[in-house]
Amino acid sequence: MTTNTARNAAAADGTWQAGRTGGTSVSLKNLSRSFGTTRALDGLSLEIAPGELVALLGPSGCGKTTALRIVAGFESADTGSVIVDGKDMLPVPAARRDMGMVFQSYSLFPNMSALDNVAFGLRMRKLAAGKRRTRAAELLDMVGLAPQAQQYPHQLSGGQQQRVALVRALAIEPRVLLLDEPLSALDAKVRLQLREQIRTLQQRLGTTTLFVTHDQEEALSMADRVGVMRLGKLEQIAAPDELYTEPATAFVAEFVGVMNRIPAELQGSGTVAVLGGTVPVKGGQSQTEALGGDQAVDALVRPEGLTMQVVENGNGIVTHRTFLGSVTRVRVLLSGDVTVQIDRPSFEAAALAAGTSVSVTLPTEPVLIAPRRPVTP
Amino acid sequence: MATVADVEAGAQTPASATRPAARRRSFPVWRWAILLIAGVFFLIPLYAGLRFAGLKAFANVFTYPGFGSAVGLSLRLAAITTILTLVLMVPTTVYVHLRLPQIRRSMEGITIMPIVIPPIVLIIGVLKVAPGFLLGTPYLLALVYVILAMPFAYRSLDAGLRAFDLKTMVEASNSLGADWPTTLWRVVLPNIRTAMLSATVLTVALVLGEFTMASLALYVTFPVWIVQFEQNAGPVTTAASLLALFVTWILLMLIVTVGGRGARKRGGAQVALFTVAAPAESSQTMGEPE
Repeated sequence: MTTNTARNAAAADGTWQAGRTGGTSVSLKNLSRSFGTTRALDGLSLEIAPGELVALLGPSGCGKTTALRIVAGFESADTGSVIVDGKDMLPVPAARRDMGMVFQSYSLFPNMSALDNVAFGLRMRKLAAGKRRTRAAELLDMVGLAPQAQQYPHQLSGGQQQRVALVRALAIEPRVLLLDEPLSALDAKVRLQLREQIRTLQQRLGTTTLFVTHDQEEALSMADRVGVMRLGKLEQIAAPDELYTEPATAFVAEFVGVMNRIPAELQGSGTVAVLGGTVPVKGGQSQTEALGGDQAVDALVRPEGLTMQVVENGNGIVTHRTFLGSVTRVRVLLSGDVTVQIDRPSFEAAALAAGTSVSVTLPTEPVLIAPRRPVTP
Repeated sequence: MATVADVEAGAQTPASATRPAARRRSFPVWRWAILLIAGVFFLIPLYAGLRFAGLKAFANVFTYPGFGSAVGLSLRLAAITTILTLVLMVPTTVYVHLRLPQIRRSMEGITIMPIVIPPIVLIIGVLKVAPGFLLGTPYLLALVYVILAMPFAYRSLDAGLRAFDLKTMVEASNSLGADWPTTLWRVVLPNIRTAMLSATVLTVALVLGEFTMASLALYVTFPVWIVQFEQNAGPVTTAASLLALFVTWILLMLIVTVGGRGARKRGGAQVALFTVAAPAESSQTMGEPE
């Protein structure tokens, strides 16, 4: 508690605060980058508002780390520009970009104590020895590591090392904070705690932040906006709730959260026949026409978007239940070897033993559709 | 605000804390036996040498004609060779690791060549390319020794650079505002200090013991002096050889002890002669104690 109190006091009285008020705007314009025949970035454009935390989310190889490294100055772009506060940064070397970076692997300098690691950037900025040590100590205190200030990286746990790396990046009062999967090497408990701490510090300091991750839970819980990338391009960028509830494409819909694919048949006038009923298609007529007149499609529905009732001779059979706390995810085998997942309150799902016959239906709200994918066993 | 510190407090038990005890327990009797046999194998010739030379010969070594100049030349050559080797090999090895990792295997092949190429070929090659002011001076040998030391120096430095995440360290340093020379001086060199010490030890040992090149070039270095006077002053040259051996040992132990102490403090690589091995749990501790 003593540490907490000291930390909160340091933050409250403004002993250490970001020197840049108002934050920094970042604009990536039409960035492209190829490695041999592999096109890592394919015309990526992205606007980040001052003080905003944007997460880039996507599968391995989608180009998110390449984008971050181009912003940091560790990679060059084939085409495009990185504009920070109106200035193109691509010709500027990494050392002069004023961007703090936290890496996936623990990047503390092994030959320096935690305090010296945090003070390193300040030393590069010619801050007097006394001042930089004071500031580094304040920063370590902010993340609860004052007692470990004199310890070397190998004496710290992974979570502690990443907190030191975080404040080391923030110590230079960076124009932009870049986070390259900083939590992926940590265990679940520490990851959760550090996630909250990064977000709290970022909001308190108002540092514009670009965060790269493949963990959708991290992206959705931390970011103001999440950009989903695929094949070097942004598929969609939106607030986390919008991304989940209003995915723009089938890829986003399936990448973010759990999504059921249910075989359906296109009807006229932007509707689709699915699970014995007819429901409207998101995007209406234009969406159905975009599929090129193919009648066989899949309806994409979240587990919480399906309803289910226990009936004799229903259209599905319960095969498995996964307890998730307040809800239980029930797997139901439908005709045609299609399995769907349906979330039910745990107190209701307790009665749904494997083998129970159920009737699965879809509310009449618009659904997203995608070209039919063969059923995998 | 709940903090990570509250959760982690009291749960920090870095793996290194329990290592020494475990290491002591895992040193079985058969290892002591091998150590003893190896010790006897090396010590018997030394004892024989001591018996042959006699203690009086050790005092005579320093007054024997040519001893001072031969030792002085060998030490000067050792210093020049070491500096040249480090100045050439450290940036080269760092550059290969950072920018050209694909040629690391080729580098291993190239740097082993001085061992397989005959000495006469090396010295003729050096004579062809050496700057004029060095021709006719014994310092020409330093250029030859730099080539001879390359296999050992490269391997030491290569192992040292592999023991930590060089690319990430350099990028972290750059992102914090450090330019290249600063990054090399403050981040890279301190973390390969033990590897540089290993390279230094090997280079010094090589120069102090090298006979063929110096003899071919007709310069009287310490090993050449020993051979020249062996015929008519056997006990004295034997005493000189033993002295050289002891001095090299002391130097070696000093470097290993000093380097090892620094490395242990930082949890980094330990000093070793041919490789610098980092304990797996020290440099890349990815697991959490919690």
